[in-house]
Amino acid sequence: MFRPPPRASGYFRTGYGQDLALVQTKAERISLVVFLLILAGFPFIASPFALDLACQVFLASVGALSLMLLTGYAGQISLGHAGLIAAGAFTTGILAREIHAPFWVTLPASAVTGIVLGFVFGLPSLRLRGLYLAVSTLALHFVVIYLGGEYETKRGFSTGIIVEPPNLAGVSLSGGRFWYFVLLAAAAVSLLICINLLRSRSGRAFRAVHARETVAEALGISIAGYKLLAFVISSSMTSVAGCLFAYYRGFVSVEAFDLFLTIQYVAMIIIGGMGSLLGALLGAAFVTLFPYAIEALLHLLPNVEKLAGDIFAVNYASFGVVMILFLIFEPLGLVGIWHRLQNYFLLWPFKYRPLAGARK
Amino acid sequence: MSEALLRVEKVEVVYKRVITAVQGVTLSVGPKQIVAILGTNGAGKTTTLRAVSGFLGLDDARVTEGTISFEGRRIENAPPHDIAARGIVLVPERDKVFPNLTVAENLAVPVSRASAAERRRQDEQIYSLFPRLAQLRQRIGGLLSGGERQMLAIAAALTCRPSLLLVDELSLGLAPVVVQDLTRRLLTVRDELGIAILLVEQSAAAALTIADHAYVMENGRIVLDGDREQLKSHQDVQEFYLGQASGERRSYRTVKQYRRSRRWYG
Repeated sequence: MFRPPPRASGYFRTGYGQDLALVQTKAERISLVVFLLILAGFPFIASPFALDLACQVFLASVGALSLMLLTGYAGQISLGHAGLIAAGAFTTGILAREIHAPFWVTLPASAVTGIVLGFVFGLPSLRLRGLYLAVSTLALHFVVIYLGGEYETKRGFSTGIIVEPPNLAGVSLSGGRFWYFVLLAAAAVSLLICINLLRSRSGRAFRAVHARETVAEALGISIAGYKLLAFVISSSMTSVAGCLFAYYRGFVSVEAFDLFLTIQYVAMIIIGGMGSLLGALLGAAFVTLFPYAIEALLHLLPNVEKLAGDIFAVNYASFGVVMILFLIFEPLGLVGIWHRLQNYFLLWPFKYRPLAGARK
Repeated sequence: MSEALLRVEKVEVVYKRVITAVQGVTLSVGPKQIVAILGTNGAGKTTTLRAVSGFLGLDDARVTEGTISFEGRRIENAPPHDIAARGIVLVPERDKVFPNLTVAENLAVPVSRASAAERRRQDEQIYSLFPRLAQLRQRIGGLLSGGERQMLAIAAALTCRPSLLLVDELSLGLAPVVVQDLTRRLLTVRDELGIAILLVEQSAAAALTIADHAYVMENGRIVLDGDREQLKSHQDVQEFYLGQASGERRSYRTVKQYRRSRRWYG
């Protein structure tokens, strides 16, 4: 349960319309512009390695946002996230390979695949809750991975499907900087979709169903309809992320979509902070960059050559430890830390907000 | 009253297919009327209300006999959202606001076909009925006090534009001053919006200040009914529900037995 921090003092709203503005104060406007400039300038100073990391973070952001929508807001647990990304990637891979479909065919096709899968695997949510629902969505993962694996072996692509970079008017679109901007745009569009969806009737219904299903029903909300809608929207966004993943990597293979990927996405929204879009973004960045940070730290140790073989084990283990630490010490996630920090500076030199009505 | 808005006729409710909770309950609510159901814990008040609102199904209970009709149409055992769409909205006993939504968002949750302009006007109307909520627009539901929650729940129910409002335990856990304030507001809701109200209350004193008509339930049956003045002056009601002892105290049990025998055997 998060509230936006107190607004800058001296700023008052004078109409209902101003409540709805996304950017409300001058300070917000300035910081947004500065942030965008930094994002726009980044690829021109960054190394190819840093560029690749940024692209991975953007891709993960799309997936984390869609999972946050489903789990953090609509309250439906899903363990089929890697399966859905795989579904989008395989749709793209198969269409590109078999009929040489251009990206403006594969992208909507992936979205449609996501919609269909979301609808079918959302149906159990009408009856199942919590752990039982999680297990039923796990089936989605195995169905998609099985079908993808079958396709690979039948067609003889046992190591994976190679996806040509998309081309527009005969120009092949590739290169780190190009993909940086494409994936940045994808993440930004996903974020805007989520923000606006959550402020709409459907978004309120999602959160109402999450909090108090019976009260929501008493107020005339169709629970079944909104649960399915949450699944469908989230799945189609995830599949589109899968499509982008296929083009970005240029390669689709079932090995890339194991259960650990699902766990990573669930970890992103938990570490980031449940029920917060900012949390999804912070979580995506944290979980994506974490293994690289661990690796970099390991290289600082003496005699690192001896450890080279164990680096994966160390990564997995420290990832687990971080998850546990977050669950115990910071259940509100990174966004909880961020809000505390904000409040600290807003209230400084005081520690708490005064009693309401004390100044009279 | 032949043109009753809500008519509950000889209703029997059975939980889990074995436990009878209420039997032979007959009551009616006329247009723009405030009706109260009084009684102690376990008398069957809430069950009756849940039968009307359609929430029985969630507890594996059913109306097994009798009929409930609203505006002339039968509604017993219909699902809650269906009943809400017909114009009966329930303010539940507890867990009544969405703790993760702000006050403004709570008010925007209910489904309505009103246009944006109408909704704006409706919001203004609600905020003028409950000025406190206007101050709290950006506060999240989970941080409201009990009285504010009750206000918000009533306000949210009103945005559904009901013709009958069901209120379960208005006074539950609230200070007498707050209860007084809320009952007065319900009266305004009835007078200004023309909405009929069916209240379920343990606090007879609170209910009898605004109800036009009241029913007293005991052990799953209605044992007494009458208009406000009749009930206020009724000796048993005074003694057991209003706490005004008159002369020597009788045991609750003997009176209960006597009431029941008079009603069912004689």
